[in-house]
Amino acid sequence: MSPVARDRGVYLGMMGLEDDARVDFTRLRTERRAKVFAGMETHDLDALMLGGVGNVRYVSGARQLGRSGVLPFAPVAVVVRESRRVHLLSTWDEGVPPEIGRDDLYRMSWNPANLAADLASIPGLAEARRVGTDGLTPMFAALIPQLVTKADLVDAGPVMTGARRIKTPDEIVCLEVAAAIAEAALSAMEDALTPGITERELLGIYHERIATLGAPMPPSEAVSCGAPGQLLALAPGALYAGYEAGLGRTRVVGAGPMHAELASRCARGMDALVAACRPGNTGADLYRAWEDAGNEDPGLPLAHGLGLGAEPPLIGLGRGRDAALEEGMVLSVQSWVAEEGIGGCLERDTVLVESGGPTLLTRYGRL
Amino acid sequence: MKPIDGATIGGRAIPDLPDLPRMRRERFERLQQQLEAQGIDGLVLLGSSSVAYATGAAAPAQDGDRAALFRTVAVVVKGDSAPHLYTLFTDGAPAELPEDHLHGPLFPDLDDGIDAFAAALSEHLASGARVGVDDLTHAMLRGLPRFEWVDASDVVGAAKLTKTPDEIACIRNAQRLNELAMTDALAALRPGVRQIDLSAVFLRRVFELGASANGIDPIWQVMAPTRELGPWTIHGDLAYPTVTSDRFLREGDVIWVDSGITWHGYASDYGRTWTTGAGPNTKQQEHFRRWRAVVDAALDVLKPGVSALELGKAAIDANDGVRPWIEHFYLAHGVGTESAEMPLIGTDLGEGFDERLIMQPGMVLVLEPVIWEEGHAGYRSEDIVAVTDTGWVKLSGSTYEPYGVTT
Repeated sequence: MSPVARDRGVYLGMMGLEDDARVDFTRLRTERRAKVFAGMETHDLDALMLGGVGNVRYVSGARQLGRSGVLPFAPVAVVVRESRRVHLLSTWDEGVPPEIGRDDLYRMSWNPANLAADLASIPGLAEARRVGTDGLTPMFAALIPQLVTKADLVDAGPVMTGARRIKTPDEIVCLEVAAAIAEAALSAMEDALTPGITERELLGIYHERIATLGAPMPPSEAVSCGAPGQLLALAPGALYAGYEAGLGRTRVVGAGPMHAELASRCARGMDALVAACRPGNTGADLYRAWEDAGNEDPGLPLAHGLGLGAEPPLIGLGRGRDAALEEGMVLSVQSWVAEEGIGGCLERDTVLVESGGPTLLTRYGRL
Repeated sequence: MKPIDGATIGGRAIPDLPDLPRMRRERFERLQQQLEAQGIDGLVLLGSSSVAYATGAAAPAQDGDRAALFRTVAVVVKGDSAPHLYTLFTDGAPAELPEDHLHGPLFPDLDDGIDAFAAALSEHLASGARVGVDDLTHAMLRGLPRFEWVDASDVVGAAKLTKTPDEIACIRNAQRLNELAMTDALAALRPGVRQIDLSAVFLRRVFELGASANGIDPIWQVMAPTRELGPWTIHGDLAYPTVTSDRFLREGDVIWVDSGITWHGYASDYGRTWTTGAGPNTKQQEHFRRWRAVVDAALDVLKPGVSALELGKAAIDANDGVRPWIEHFYLAHGVGTESAEMPLIGTDLGEGFDERLIMQPGMVLVLEPVIWEEGHAGYRSEDIVAVTDTGWVKLSGSTYEPYGVTT
């Protein structure tokens, strides 16, 4: 195919096409790794030991078993600057991209001593001076210096959040595909809206739709909220190759309440927030935009980063006033307004911060 | 479902449905006993499953990084009557949680959340206190006052090792929902169906039936007939479980199914072998019978006082001396607020560990031996049992379709 498609729409599918017209995953992984190694250079880290799901995926590009919830830190991926190799906890090679060789894999262990022995044999790790981690349990804090490396264990955050914050063009395509999956899920849920439908049934329909599309693990199972005779907020996110899109809209079930004013307030709040998503702005600008639109603290985030799952910054809930917005960041932005007797109205979109202004990656009709 | 006749744990019957407030109270008492016994002043819990155990709080299932950024945090203070719960999902707090123990969310992962975290902890724990923690973010290491951090798993693991009758009722009901939804998935299996199509049928049905959350991406792994034809592995043994995709399932495929949902915080663990198109042939039925014999051999010796090593030996003997489980796994694992937790039997923790691991009433075992015959693939299912005062009681169902039905 020509190097860059003039009509980006050709990218928005999930099948492999015989002309390789879709996301170039090899390039995606190569660019991610280059950013990680550059960050290690900048922050003078000899190695990384990573356990966070997004971080492991970012450095390895491996397709690993999806599971819900957050686990305490454990070293699932190890990055060594000197050798420019990424090592992965995987007992087999299926799901592991070709740049990670069989020699770079270490086995699943229940015995921490065996895990430590495997880590200690990773070339370059024992001699490292500074190793970044993305968490530390008291057990690993004791075990790593004893059995793996004498290096100072420092925060991998500056390297990893630094690499992940600005999206590459391939990452943005993944986010757009995730956005389209979320839209498909929202269509399916909207089609199913009839008086009497339960949140459980909607959750079932949501899972069925995203699974059929090939993305069975959702970013969150909080996909609907509302009460009978009130407004119903539908917020089906989706993941594609680990990249998360957020989407939320509000609908009326049956003979709903008078909601026009609330819907309009929700839309105004959303427009104000999205308009504030400009390079050079900070979280404080989003707070100001929200308040200037006549809204109170919604008790929910106004915005947070998106990429391989939810990312910093978190803007809202009292956090993130100083967070700087830069070109190439992607945010989940949401407007939530509520009124006694009517219910609540939600809009959520996935927003790309660009030099010319914000671009919505999600598209769906408003209330 | 009815209460299980005659089966008792600590003299108490396993109820049909759990008494959730009682379950939460008894779990909290166990944590308090362990804090006292281990000389620890409190717990700070960040991991989803330990928070669920300590508080009983419900929160929507979320992908790893989202579950981290918007994590629910539990603080348990020695001598207190209830846990402190910090959450964005206040609707999920148990009704009996005192108002002054329910708080808005904390953000231990963010530097600009750490002052609020430090202030919250200082209300409960003195600087220098000995505190069990399950995970430390670098923001915490930088920004929190000095505590003597110890691993929370010593306290939480000891509390979770045996289950109360209510917890066992939760596992049994989670399993029941999982099995019912799998009936629909099996009915949908035929040549040309994709792995993700089975996920779609299963997930829709399991939520309609009342699952609280899904725990893992459901697994429908097609087993190659020999180890050599399956994915390359470090140890040379089988690769399992590999991740679901849009792979087509075709006539004759032997599929090892695995899924786990939660109900009131407790995980199910469904494992079965299915065949695509034609039913199991004679050889495949033999694999199943051998699997059944291995599980029965372990169950024949299972009762309080028996060691994990003895259970492993019984299983190996029933398989003609060949270890009937995959090298990176186990003969059996526990299940609770985590899909795999102690007791683990037959892992790389070693024989000494297994010898010291003694079965007690209230332990739950998911027995998942694997029968393998090079050239013909093999059979794997999972039977869940709880150790009772006098023996064991089965928590999972006793049909193994499309393989022969047995008890």
